[in-house]
Amino acid sequence: MSELLANLALGFSVAASPYNIGFCLLGALVGTLVGVLPGIGTVATVAMLLPITFGLPPVGALIMLAGIYYGAQYGGSTTSVLVNIPGEATSVITCLDGHQMARQGRAGAALSIAAIGSFFAGCVSTVLVAALGVPLTSIALLFGPAEYFSLMLLGLIFAVVLAKGSVLKSIAMVVTGLLLSMVGSDLETGAGRMTFDIAELSDGIGFTNVAMGLFGFAEIIRNLEMSQESRDIVKGKISGLMPTRQDLIDASGAIARGTVLGSLLGILPGGGAVVASFAAYTFEKRISKNPERFGRGAIQGVAAPESANNAAAQTSFIPLLTLGIPPNAVMALMVGAMTIHGIVPGPQVMTKQPELFWGMIASMWLGNLMLVVINLPLVGVWVSLLRVPYRLLYPSIIVFCCIGIYSINNSPTDVVIAAIFGLFGYWLNKHDFEPAPLVLAFVLGPLMEENLRRAMLIARGDATVFLTRPISAGLIAVAAGLLVIAALPMIRKRREEVFVE
Amino acid sequence: MSEGVRTPPRGGGFRFKVRGPRDFYGGLVLIALAIIAIWASGDLPGTHGFAFGPGTAPRLFAGLLAIVGALVALSGLLVDGPPVEPYAVRGPAWVLLAILAFAGMIRGLNIGPVTIPPLGLVPSTFAAFMISIFGSTEMRWVESLIAAVAMTAFCVGLFVYLLQLPFQLWPWI
Repeated sequence: MSELLANLALGFSVAASPYNIGFCLLGALVGTLVGVLPGIGTVATVAMLLPITFGLPPVGALIMLAGIYYGAQYGGSTTSVLVNIPGEATSVITCLDGHQMARQGRAGAALSIAAIGSFFAGCVSTVLVAALGVPLTSIALLFGPAEYFSLMLLGLIFAVVLAKGSVLKSIAMVVTGLLLSMVGSDLETGAGRMTFDIAELSDGIGFTNVAMGLFGFAEIIRNLEMSQESRDIVKGKISGLMPTRQDLIDASGAIARGTVLGSLLGILPGGGAVVASFAAYTFEKRISKNPERFGRGAIQGVAAPESANNAAAQTSFIPLLTLGIPPNAVMALMVGAMTIHGIVPGPQVMTKQPELFWGMIASMWLGNLMLVVINLPLVGVWVSLLRVPYRLLYPSIIVFCCIGIYSINNSPTDVVIAAIFGLFGYWLNKHDFEPAPLVLAFVLGPLMEENLRRAMLIARGDATVFLTRPISAGLIAVAAGLLVIAALPMIRKRREEVFVE
Repeated sequence: MSEGVRTPPRGGGFRFKVRGPRDFYGGLVLIALAIIAIWASGDLPGTHGFAFGPGTAPRLFAGLLAIVGALVALSGLLVDGPPVEPYAVRGPAWVLLAILAFAGMIRGLNIGPVTIPPLGLVPSTFAAFMISIFGSTEMRWVESLIAAVAMTAFCVGLFVYLLQLPFQLWPWI
């Protein structure tokens, strides 16, 4: 314990120098401003702003990057709440209830609770990273390909369980997402798969294109056919920007549970933060006394996933700093930034450069603090964006999305692909299919395939390996149990309908 | 109670009644998607010994999609469900046109007889904004033009000057 405190003290002595606080604040500010633009997600924001940190000393650069990262992530949540466009996979869930709250004139409360939840999660998981980083690494080492595959399967089942409509249709969406993620070059042989000889498809379909199409463009098309009253994002007047006392009480449990779930799931590489936000939301919905409020603007539905994804974002530094494995695209960029500064991520960072390791952990907390400092005053600015009439707002979103997609690869084809997904999303909506499970499956697809292939190769083609290895079997059992629980009410309801007839 | 009045659906011959059109046609489209995927990945080598080939996973998931799609379609056939909502044409068409215009204009286009020179960010943004405006029934000319100019200026300022992204601004630069 005393060692932990000494380490944290060392970290704060590094991170809390006026310069570094300045870098952190600047990073969080710029990150939020860029991340809040619809169409530019966390990865794109960090990638875009990476060059401005090159001139700084290593610690300052990493601290600023951490600030940018949190800012961008929070910016993504902001667009989820305001215009229903998630910047990245982790904020897909925030759309569900956050945007509904915005429609009810409570965007301010949603944004504030997201910031407060994130900050709380950040505080807890910072201590957790410091205390448990080393012992937890050993658990991650127990995970072989079979376990990773089962873990991701569990994540997909979470997505199915949480979707609003029928379980069968959600499964259909998951499979569609997996299939779409197969497009592009094969990981092992480099063979082009289902690319139809289109050069731009050889790298696969970009996540941004899918997300922007299904959530951004499809939403606009759908809104255009509604009457003016039902479409205006804010119906009544915008009630107070800050959450009420009751909101805070309602959200506190969700924040705490989201933090715990997120911290645990974030340690596991392979979309930990994504799974965490889905899992936290599902969990809240399950234990809630009135689950029917979820999807209709429940504050818990914003608090839980936002806390979870921030906690997971934090603890996902554990595999990076201790094993040198980047668990997601942003962390991969962090590795890039570290190597540019001559730091090779891995176990040796902790022993050889303790001031960097602990400085970074302390700066995570500072990054979170800066987020609250910057965003609570800005909530009013974001919310006032909703007062723009929709007939002017939607062309602006379209233009923004087009430029955002185009800027990632300078590829007009990407813009066209997003448009196709927009129409696909419109079709999905007409047939009551949920896009969220599709998007998660799309993100996890390549990782799942890789681990499935590896596991099968190691087991010499024996598919029972997923059930004979204890951790993997446990994860699959949980997944199967969840599926049964989710399917039961559906079957029961159908039976009731039959009886009514 | 309506059951007794309605002519029984399976009375004679092949007179099927699709009870849940939304699910039924949704499932059919998913099956079609699966068939396209199986066809598109047909030429890829499959499982080789213990090792998955590049074609194994796509065909596996496509097969799975066909099965799930069939189940969805079947449930649409057997269980009562809502009808398919009518599709709007105006909104989707103008939005699609706006996005395609942006994609075609920003770096130029050369498909068969159609050739568009690279026009750059300013004309593309302005055109995409003005085209998408027509998707709504409430468009107003003056207001839209002002908004389009403002939005274009804002985007140029943000993406080109602030974020320093390498965009071509005008047809001649």
